[in-house]
Amino acid sequence: MRAASIVLRKDLRVLWRSPLLLGALLAYPIVIALLVGLIAGYASSKPRVAFVDEAHLPPVVAVAGHRFHIQTVIDDVAGQVTLVRLSPKEAARELANGKVVATITVPPGFLGNLQTMASSPSLVLRTGSGGLAPRVTQQMQSLVYQLNQKLQAGYIAANLQFVRLILHGGSGKFLGRHFTLLGLDGTQQELAKLPPSKRVAVIEHFVQVARVGLAQTGLALRATANPITLSQPKRHGRTWVLSAQVQAYGIAVTVTFLALLLAAGAAAAEKDEGTIGRLRRGLVSFGQLVWAKSALAAVVGLALGAAIAIVFGVVVEIGGVTGGEPWARLPLLFLGVALVGGVVGAVGVLLGALAREARTASLLAVLVVLPVVFLGIVPRGAVAAAYWISLFLPFAHAVRWFGAALYDTDPWRTIAVETLWLVGIGLAFGLLARQAMRRLAA
Amino acid sequence: MTAPLVRALQVARSYGEIEALAPTDLELVGGEIVALVGPNGAGKSTLLAIAAGALEPTQGTVETEARVGWVPQRPAHYGRLSARENLELFARLEGDRDPAGSAAKLLERFALPAERRPSAELSVGNRQRLNVALSLLGDPRVLLLDEPTASLDPGQRRRVWDVVNELRDEGGAICFATQNVEEVGEHADRVLVLQNGNVVFAGPSSGYAAVAEDVFG
Repeated sequence: MRAASIVLRKDLRVLWRSPLLLGALLAYPIVIALLVGLIAGYASSKPRVAFVDEAHLPPVVAVAGHRFHIQTVIDDVAGQVTLVRLSPKEAARELANGKVVATITVPPGFLGNLQTMASSPSLVLRTGSGGLAPRVTQQMQSLVYQLNQKLQAGYIAANLQFVRLILHGGSGKFLGRHFTLLGLDGTQQELAKLPPSKRVAVIEHFVQVARVGLAQTGLALRATANPITLSQPKRHGRTWVLSAQVQAYGIAVTVTFLALLLAAGAAAAEKDEGTIGRLRRGLVSFGQLVWAKSALAAVVGLALGAAIAIVFGVVVEIGGVTGGEPWARLPLLFLGVALVGGVVGAVGVLLGALAREARTASLLAVLVVLPVVFLGIVPRGAVAAAYWISLFLPFAHAVRWFGAALYDTDPWRTIAVETLWLVGIGLAFGLLARQAMRRLAA
Repeated sequence: MTAPLVRALQVARSYGEIEALAPTDLELVGGEIVALVGPNGAGKSTLLAIAAGALEPTQGTVETEARVGWVPQRPAHYGRLSARENLELFARLEGDRDPAGSAAKLLERFALPAERRPSAELSVGNRQRLNVALSLLGDPRVLLLDEPTASLDPGQRRRVWDVVNELRDEGGAICFATQNVEEVGEHADRVLVLQNGNVVFAGPSSGYAAVAEDVFG
């Protein structure tokens, strides 16, 4: 290994003397990681949905004695989508050309049905055929659920007004007619004025029971309307940007890019410089060359991965994010980063040896690294084939390794499994790279 | 008879269907200089690279009894490293106990710039001299040189031949590829003429003139 370490030190020195290349190698993966993050962020941003008001809803709608400001309701319930008011024609056109992912229409007669409750009014949802359609449907179902909850609260409040009239008496209005009620309180007072008798006692007992029973009406109505409620305490966790997942993916993407490009370029450079002939004359074996280039990728990958983890941790600490940065786990993370750098480096050496020329090797590495990363990002349920292919590439294992090292309570099992995978992948690609180096030297 | 320091037996090299070198024998004994002559693509560089262990033959074997130094046709060193750093690096790989000392000696012997200027920025002549200097690391007794003086001025050529002759006088063996007829006459004891991967003449340099015209047209 002495020869491999001499070549490694030479490569580090050569890299250090190429500030432009070093800068590009360090900046490029970070830029790519940010772009991937932005794309992922966009995927989770609010889809645009057309809101078509054929019922000509007034700004304020009174339902069950409650006044609803339509725009406020829309703003309240549309946290997951951006509702855009459009005419029916515009909405249909924008749905057809994909500018909106769905249209939700308030049909004529909606308000009348809602106010009289003669029949349940309907909102009409039309979705496009894109991948966001199921998500938008779920969000619209959630929107209708939340609207119903608000209306239920209004109806319950209106019903409780009548219950209060029955309990305490007073004036009210029903179907446009005004009326005055004595109420149970008044009835009890009137009964108290009557001479005691068995019949009066029976009525007094009924009034007492009815008062107790009706006093519980509000709770009973709310419980019937919402047998199960979902309570959501105020969040104190990390934002998406500072999540453990983003940290694991960020480091994995940057290290994969860097290690692959660097190792591919360094391997092919031996051919470009003409030095592979000198080295192979008993000075450095092909296996040692593969080790040296993989180690180069591991060392530089470790430096970049450590820098990212430390910067991330500082941001987390400055931001006072709940849980903080798991500083004690960083050495474990660094171990994983070095391992991943080396394994990806072996893949890079293979590419460099196949390309036989540094520029072609860099281009090939860029072309290969994108599918390697994206195959690892595709969820198992989305494309099963992608998942199976990614099993035999280092990226997905790297993400799981880093995620476990940083945030799993008991990471050892995951780390052991992923280490075995990575070592196996590294050995397989290393052997292939050694064979390819033979071809490179020819 | 002196035992050969390098013996290549029936070595050949093919690239797919193309035969770069037909099965060829080459023996180098101490105290002699052998010239490999032939037009471009004749197989001279291939034979030298195989004998040096820098290229694997598709058939045949190479036996070496001494340390071999190799000067490839195209300078082979790291352009981002200085001449000194290249010499020290390869000295370390050769297992030299004093890489800095060996590098300093060769820098002086070949009048190479000692500063930290990357070797890629050196003149063509300096790069070629560095190429030759690298081949002398590890004190080889056999030197295989592929057109070592092609880009050197007369003074520098003389310096290279001084090194070669010195090694020959010390009992070393030298084989060099060239297209320079004068160099063959001046320095070679024996000549191997190659054409299209085949040896078309092998004998004393005095007999080379008769075939030279046929080979080069």
